[in-house]
Amino acid sequence: MKITVKLFATFRQGRFKIAEQDVPEGTTIADVLDTLAIEVADVGMLFVNGRHAEPEQRLAGGVVLAIFPLVGGG
Amino acid sequence: MLSHEELQRYARHIVLRDIGGPGQQALKAARVVVVGAGGLGSPILQYLAAAGVGTIGIVDDDTVSLSNLQRQVIHGTPDIGRPKVASARDAILRLNPHVTVEAHAIRLDATNARNVLSGYDVVIDGTDNFATRFLVADACEALERPLVAAAVIEFYGWVTVLMPYATGPDGSRNPSLRAIMRQPDDGRAQTCAEFGILGVVPGILGTLAAAEALKLVLGLGMPLVRRMLTVDVRDMSIDALDYEGEPATGTELT
Repeated sequence: MKITVKLFATFRQGRFKIAEQDVPEGTTIADVLDTLAIEVADVGMLFVNGRHAEPEQRLAGGVVLAIFPLVGGG
Repeated sequence: MLSHEELQRYARHIVLRDIGGPGQQALKAARVVVVGAGGLGSPILQYLAAAGVGTIGIVDDDTVSLSNLQRQVIHGTPDIGRPKVASARDAILRLNPHVTVEAHAIRLDATNARNVLSGYDVVIDGTDNFATRFLVADACEALERPLVAAAVIEFYGWVTVLMPYATGPDGSRNPSLRAIMRQPDDGRAQTCAEFGILGVVPGILGTLAAAEALKLVLGLGMPLVRRMLTVDVRDMSIDALDYEGEPATGTELT
């Protein structure tokens, strides 16, 4: 199934800003993070189609997954 | 009432149909507090002061250091070593003597946050650590105060408005900070000291945050509630992400 992954801030460096990915059925957000070499502990916000999500949740085809790092400087 | 001098000072506001004399009066009557007088706090405080926000609170327990000055533009070289609240207060009063500044040279904690923030109509968070960010967000939720939250690192930043005590157009409760963001150990979070920050980035996000605060005071336009504006200065792109807090039911996200 196809999903769209959007990365934000420092996660873009050496990766991409937005990409369509072909992933197996049953793929979780944590699986996607793994393939991107992003550690769960470095993630600040996860949204699937604009709705807050947790790493262990499974994705459906066609969704947009947005991944933010822990940006908290001032 | 606005004095003759104030009418002149704010003439470009007053000529705006959506502000006018009543809007400028509302700004003068408003009490807005800025947590953190650093990179984000600097432009926020400058624009609130210039706009004529009548009472401006500043919360910061830090002193000005040389490495701050590349981005914390409210402070100057002669201010090194001074408390940031004192330096910022002097700069604000130089800019606009019609403004009252309330300086809180303290670090917010669970014992004082609600007491300090309850005295204000709008809260703006420009702190540099997640512990304070969540403390401020929790206090604003309990006090039912709108919170303009902004954050920066490297070439990036985000800004949003949190009003979790209110409902949105669909009748559901707006999400809280905790409903959209995980509170990390501060050791894990990216800090400007460790990762660096291009000086103009907090300038951009700070002015966006100040604009949101002025809109909230004036009841103007659409605040960034349930919407996060993200800025990437490397390719100079701005994205707006509409978000909801509640997780979908079941394990599959559709």
